[in-house]
Amino acid sequence: MTVTAPAATRKQRTTPFMRRRRNGELALGLHVVAIVVGGYVLLALSQGSSLPPDLGVFLAEITGLYVVANVAMRRFAPGADGTLLPLVALLNGLGFVMITRLDPSQARVQAVWTTIGVGVFVATLVVVRDLHWLERYRYTAALAGIGFLLLPLAPAPIGLSINGARLWAKLGPISFQPGEVAKVLLVVFFAGYLVDKRELLSAGSRRIGRLYMPDPKHLGPLLLVWSASIMVLVFERDLGSSLLLFSVFSAMLYVATNRSAYLLGGLVMFSGGTYAAYKMFGHVRTRFQIWWDPWPTASGKGYQIVQAWYAFAAGHIGGLGLGKGLAGEQLRSGSWRLPEASTDSIMAVIGEELGLIGAIAVVIAFMLLLGAGLRAAIDHPRPFEKLFATGLTTILGVQAFVIIGGITRVIPLTGLTLPFVSYGGSSLVANFALVGLLARVSDDAAQREMRA
Amino acid sequence: MSDAAFNVLTACLVALLYLFLLRVVLLVARELRGTPIVAQQVIMAEPVAAPPPEPARRRTRGWNLVILEPAPRKGETFPVDDEATIGRGGGCGIALPDDTFVSTVHARAFTRDGDLWIEDLGSTNGTQVGGETLGEPQKLRRGDRIQIGGTLLEARR
Repeated sequence: MTVTAPAATRKQRTTPFMRRRRNGELALGLHVVAIVVGGYVLLALSQGSSLPPDLGVFLAEITGLYVVANVAMRRFAPGADGTLLPLVALLNGLGFVMITRLDPSQARVQAVWTTIGVGVFVATLVVVRDLHWLERYRYTAALAGIGFLLLPLAPAPIGLSINGARLWAKLGPISFQPGEVAKVLLVVFFAGYLVDKRELLSAGSRRIGRLYMPDPKHLGPLLLVWSASIMVLVFERDLGSSLLLFSVFSAMLYVATNRSAYLLGGLVMFSGGTYAAYKMFGHVRTRFQIWWDPWPTASGKGYQIVQAWYAFAAGHIGGLGLGKGLAGEQLRSGSWRLPEASTDSIMAVIGEELGLIGAIAVVIAFMLLLGAGLRAAIDHPRPFEKLFATGLTTILGVQAFVIIGGITRVIPLTGLTLPFVSYGGSSLVANFALVGLLARVSDDAAQREMRA
Repeated sequence: MSDAAFNVLTACLVALLYLFLLRVVLLVARELRGTPIVAQQVIMAEPVAAPPPEPARRRTRGWNLVILEPAPRKGETFPVDDEATIGRGGGCGIALPDDTFVSTVHARAFTRDGDLWIEDLGSTNGTQVGGETLGEPQKLRRGDRIQIGGTLLEARR
């Protein structure tokens, strides 16, 4: 029987198993450094024929960042899964090489954000020592999450509208996307709430035909938060995030209750919502038509997806080589041939220059990262942490699916960043915090197993 | 730099990339094989901190459900005064956290006009009374045996 000591007196210990995990993490990290630096050098070679002048600085910086993260893990989360950090580093490093290829000035900004991101990762490990208090503040998290979602709708000095979507908030000199933070906060709420109510939500007390329905009073707050977040996102015209929240929520509901009816219900509600949005909003209709058939507007609205296809096609299986693709060429207007090449469309640039092989490697890296997150959920004995880790992992997975699926025309293209790969500070920092939380769940599971 | 040399280097880079992915997979596989599967039994249930309701509960005049199998819990008696849910989840009135063939909330026993009824709540493996799988709620008689996953219960009063 486990004896649970109060949080303050609980001591973190390191066993040989945990040390093996950290050492494996370091070894894999050095492998990633070799890959990323190799890519950086190859990129420079393709453009001139000399080594990049800042090679030493670059090597020192990424090695340094990785070692800092590894040491922080040894100190604050020694038992956490050893594959989380290397996979994040790989995705982030590959993304950085592609951004350098596209625009060196964006790369400098991205380097700063990556450093801040690693800082936030370490801070998350230091501050969030125990997940109990997150569970206790679930309603605060819900309120804060909705607050962050609403922030871009605030009047002009705070709320900003960029590319037709109102996603940005400006506080002092810093502008950021509050939605990225909101996702994590809402997952805290969903997990805490569902742990409380899952028995009530999975046992039917009312019967309609052959279906058991839980008492509506237990569903009320859930639907409220749910539709509030969806509405906000519709008003901000950010369909990608709306889809993301909806999927994460449905997935967590299913995991919590083990009732597939919720998945089905979610799907029905989502289809209804999509149809309504299609009828009501011009921009949704446009998105859908571009997806259905981009060719009539190939030089207008469908330009991006058509160029993305050309990029994937040109890349073939092996790729044209780093720095040799056309999609990343800067046109005279200053933009790339492929719009949003460093954010939404970065997968197509990878597909062109590293080929199908390179693009598939990115997808595999994501799958392994999701595997690490779900293992943390499976290993942890407590329901809150299980649901929390599942939710966080689902955020990463759905986001990767929505944007990779969008750019390959599996689903309509919506603006989301590819986690860790795309250019963008808010997303990078939020995702580093997210991985820090996953590491915390994973470590907590290992610590409990050791005490048991 | 010649194109050929560049292409060879690119191929090396991609090979290095896949080698990394392979190393991650091998690491995960080794860990999964190495660790005993502890967490698998308790899928969503709280670890049971306190022992389940004491077996030596005073017998009342009302209905009781008594565990016959599995052996370790044999004899545990649960009075059903009004309603009790039966399932693997920790929140159930009759919690069976160790039985992996039981759904989180598997079935519900309730009394109506002095009779004991049992109703399956859409469980994965079903509920059997006297070998028959329940379709709809069924009235139980004294001595009826209810099979839920790997657990056998008897209705007594």
